[in-house]
Amino acid sequence: MSAKHQSWGWMLAVDFFFAGMGGGMLLVAGLIELFAGTGQLSLLGNIVGPLCMCVGCGFLILELGRPLQAWRVFMNPKAILTCGAWIMSVAIVVGLVYASYGLNPAWFGMDKLFWQEWGALRKLLAVVCVLTGLVVATYPGVLLGRHKGRPFWVGPGIMTLFLLSSVVTGVAAHIICGMILPPVEMPGAWNHLPALAGGLLFFQLVAWIGYLWIKRTGTTAAEAASALKWLQGCYADTFKAVVMFMGTIVPLVLVMIPSPLCQGSGALLVLVGGVVMRCLVVYAGEDRTWLPGEQKYRGRLPLGNEAFLKAWSK
Amino acid sequence: MARYAMVIDTRSCIGCHSCTVACKVHNDLPVEIIYNPVTTVGPTGVYPDLHMVHVPLLCMHCDNAPCVDACPTCASQRRDKDGIVFVEDEKCVGCLACVMACPYGARIKNHATGAVQKCDFCKDRVDLGMNPHCVNTCHQKARIFGDLDDPESEVAKLVNGENAVRLLGELNTEPYVFYIYGLEVKNP
Repeated sequence: MSAKHQSWGWMLAVDFFFAGMGGGMLLVAGLIELFAGTGQLSLLGNIVGPLCMCVGCGFLILELGRPLQAWRVFMNPKAILTCGAWIMSVAIVVGLVYASYGLNPAWFGMDKLFWQEWGALRKLLAVVCVLTGLVVATYPGVLLGRHKGRPFWVGPGIMTLFLLSSVVTGVAAHIICGMILPPVEMPGAWNHLPALAGGLLFFQLVAWIGYLWIKRTGTTAAEAASALKWLQGCYADTFKAVVMFMGTIVPLVLVMIPSPLCQGSGALLVLVGGVVMRCLVVYAGEDRTWLPGEQKYRGRLPLGNEAFLKAWSK
Repeated sequence: MARYAMVIDTRSCIGCHSCTVACKVHNDLPVEIIYNPVTTVGPTGVYPDLHMVHVPLLCMHCDNAPCVDACPTCASQRRDKDGIVFVEDEKCVGCLACVMACPYGARIKNHATGAVQKCDFCKDRVDLGMNPHCVNTCHQKARIFGDLDDPESEVAKLVNGENAVRLLGELNTEPYVFYIYGLEVKNP
């Protein structure tokens, strides 16, 4: 037992955000490629998706106690983290190869890039993008939901919340990327993304209300106490103001207004809400189901900056 | 094959923290790391019927250890020959997956080394046929250690004969540390 920081911090939350958003972007790109045709989304969006996952991996490595040995996380196939690391690696490679289909050969001084003629491979890559994107978007929720001793996380509900948030942030990122570098096919599927984002935001709102209500009323005392922190306790103000109002309700209205400024602002707010939501969820996992007398015991442990702890080193 | 277990008789524990100190000294633990905290529940009741229970905590060496399943590097392992759960320091990257997965708070990150540490039932001593330090030092004999698969061992008799309970048994982690309570213990 230690009084020092002994749980995941903001860097893992940021990893979840970037990985989830990247997974959502891949999922959306693959689905649109398969069901709406090619060139419907921005090349920038197709490149940014895998790169977001790379950034997420970077934050995950920084969170480790021994970052230089990060390669070891690929070693235990039974661990969720290992599965996530492998799937994310595949998703990054496949996502970048898929995105390369949108590159202009003239940028490299060539007439054509030879693989861009292989249409079947493009469709196959889109299928892999859908599958790996779905797993990457979902796996943080699966990882957290399996923690038996963490009352706020435990259960399948958190998986739904992470999947929804990953997809909606992925859609929002595609909207922003499409505004910076418009897709080849205009008007096309990209023009319908704001409506899709609106629908997903509505589901996210309902899912969060349902999740907190179920935790508060229908489960163990520890889970009810953990949910209370989101309704009246230390997380309540940030959750209500940033995640629910600024990150869900306001963008839900903004993306439905047919104005690029409103839709772009709404998409940006979705991203802000997504990253803050993940930080709150990760911090909420610090609370464990207490053992008899443990809470009082821990409360008496030194924090590490007391004078008596440093007296011998003076 | 053996299955090592520990029985903690809270009726005998007087909360002296000798086990905590012995563990820290013999394992040379940094000041902020405690493998064996002794918590206190109470006093409860009204004079003269006052009750207080001391509950020594440690790694539960679960049969279905969530920390082992969660570890992405295979640093957290459970020995097949006797069920002891331990961390192989060289393989640990300090990802905290096991710390978060353990429902008993038995794992601690050593911020100096970057790796996670925990009680391993003093496996090096156990391999030589000796008891863990916390068991040896307990002058009240509140900690009883032995092979649960041996029906003649004291732990087997206590687990089968007394009302021995497991902490957070509802989580199905199947811990191999058992508690004998003289009084009903509730988390205040």
